[in-house]
Amino acid sequence: MAKTASSATPVYPLECRDLQRHLGEEETRVHVLRGVSLTLEPGTLHAVVGPSGCGKSTLLYILGLLDSPESGTLLIGGQEVGSLPDFELSQKRNELLGFIFQFHFLLQDFTAIENVIIPMRKLNQLPYEDMRERAAELLDAVGLGNKLDRPSRHLSGGEQQRVAIARALANDPQVILADEPTGNLDTANSDRVFALLRGLVKDQQKGLLLVTHNQQIANACDCVHHMRDGVIERTQHN
Amino acid sequence: MPPAIHIALRFITSRKRSLALSLLGVCFGVAFFVLTQAQTQGFERFFIQTILSSSGAIVITDRFQLAYSGFESGEDAAFVGSSSQQRRKFYDGITNPNQLMRVIRQFSNVRACAPVAQGSVTLRSTLHTEITRAFGIDLPLHLRATGLREQVISGSLEEFRTLPYSVLIGELLAQRLQVQAGETISIIGTDGTSKSFRVAGIFRSGVNAIDEQRTYFHINILQELLEKPQLVSMIMVSLRDPDRAPELATHFENLFFHRAKSWQERERGNLQVFFALRLSAGITVALVILLAGFGIFNILTMSVLEKVREIAILRSMGYQRNDISAVFLWQGFVVATLGSALGAVAGVLMTYGVSKIPLRVRGILYADSFIVHWSVSHYVYATLIAFLSVILASYFPARRAANLAPVDTLRGSGQ
Repeated sequence: MAKTASSATPVYPLECRDLQRHLGEEETRVHVLRGVSLTLEPGTLHAVVGPSGCGKSTLLYILGLLDSPESGTLLIGGQEVGSLPDFELSQKRNELLGFIFQFHFLLQDFTAIENVIIPMRKLNQLPYEDMRERAAELLDAVGLGNKLDRPSRHLSGGEQQRVAIARALANDPQVILADEPTGNLDTANSDRVFALLRGLVKDQQKGLLLVTHNQQIANACDCVHHMRDGVIERTQHN
Repeated sequence: MPPAIHIALRFITSRKRSLALSLLGVCFGVAFFVLTQAQTQGFERFFIQTILSSSGAIVITDRFQLAYSGFESGEDAAFVGSSSQQRRKFYDGITNPNQLMRVIRQFSNVRACAPVAQGSVTLRSTLHTEITRAFGIDLPLHLRATGLREQVISGSLEEFRTLPYSVLIGELLAQRLQVQAGETISIIGTDGTSKSFRVAGIFRSGVNAIDEQRTYFHINILQELLEKPQLVSMIMVSLRDPDRAPELATHFENLFFHRAKSWQERERGNLQVFFALRLSAGITVALVILLAGFGIFNILTMSVLEKVREIAILRSMGYQRNDISAVFLWQGFVVATLGSALGAVAGVLMTYGVSKIPLRVRGILYADSFIVHWSVSHYVYATLIAFLSVILASYFPARRAANLAPVDTLRGSGQ
């Protein structure tokens, strides 16, 4: 399901130019993003770091098509998505994006494997048995192969986060966006998950952008964008 | 299974108490609707059946002439009418009854018709004397046009058929006279002479007004008693489709120039009482179903509020507004389906139970227990109303869920 394109101009998994966004109303209105631009090349891992409130999460939601910028350009797989209607944005999220939230956000009424299958059911490109097989493989890859049918509410915080990571990868997205993906994991699992993500990005030429406070994770990425007060102050290439 | 249904089923079964409350509301509404319809229609239909069995769907009586200007009244005629209705001059009884019945039988909706001579005679038993409304009938024709055969509760129709000087007496009248089938009573004719008649049978129509006043004679014998050898006071008409009686009665009036009354017109007062009862029951049931709808609305609204985070997660995974809306509409659909099914079963049981409750009814009908009417249409209407109510109750929470902005939830969420 990896999406590739070949043309004279390079096509990036994700690209944004001069994103602007305010939050709040009247006197509480804050200029959160002040012209953010970045490009995710295929097969690269990008980290966004910065103090709380600098606009990292807002940037992530906009790049994840969950929020809209007031101005600027956003391209996914080379296609401008800023003016797409809501249902097409939903389709893009389902097909092209995998989102890992800071707080795992699982559906508590479903089992681990069902949580991973849910985005696949929406995409509806595989028979149910194949969906189940793929979900089991993903859960096995994050170390939960023995807890497939456990209700998600009975999993520990770290286990739930790993289910959320498997779920983000379910539809083999072109772009993976993550908000503190390893924040709830111990060192061993953190390393394991990061290695999994890194392997996927490198092998399948995906793009990954993660927001983190973990300097070790950031340093393991190809690019680190340092944000402050709604702008990327500098980008460090590792 | 579409993902929206899968998610809806999981959401709804994970909140068992809310599901039980919703189901209870719909189930109760449907069962109550079925029960009230079965009861009110049961009594109403039984009453209508009683009326049709006793007097037919249409009764044709006096001949009339339209009163034109310069018209003068004859000595045996009377004018009736109003400014909105053309005045008519009426003559007692049927003119050319056999010819009229031949024409009446040509109508496809007519099942049978029978002539009746009517008058007042005095009945005298050893203990009492009563004035009765005597109905002179042609037994074979009358049995085809009415339900007299089923109304005889003692004695025999065969004896009535074979004995010219025999009568069938209404149950309440027989009680007042203290006579039983097989006994002899005296009938005093218009000339004051007394003749002995055998009580061939006692009948019960179920309508007090009939059972305490009516006596059946052979038509030629009554004509002889009343000294009116050609008298035919009315023709009772039985129809295949009694609901169409008013149209046919109007047609008969225009065609035969005889007064023709449908059972709906004759029993307007009683039918209005039944209609009022049905309306009252309908309002009560509508309130019950409305309350159930409000309950489901509240439960689903609460569900939307509780599932705000799940909705945001689903949206972040690519589920569209329509999918989210469908998740909540499907929950309503499941409640409506299960609730209606359970309600239908409860309706059957409650209706059966009520039909066994002893209830002595005398007056306009005769019953010893609750009369219920079993009809699939009650269950269909109850289900339709339940679905309408539940889908409406689900629509607004579903729309609210679909319009939630996921980013607002995700920004404000944490654990």
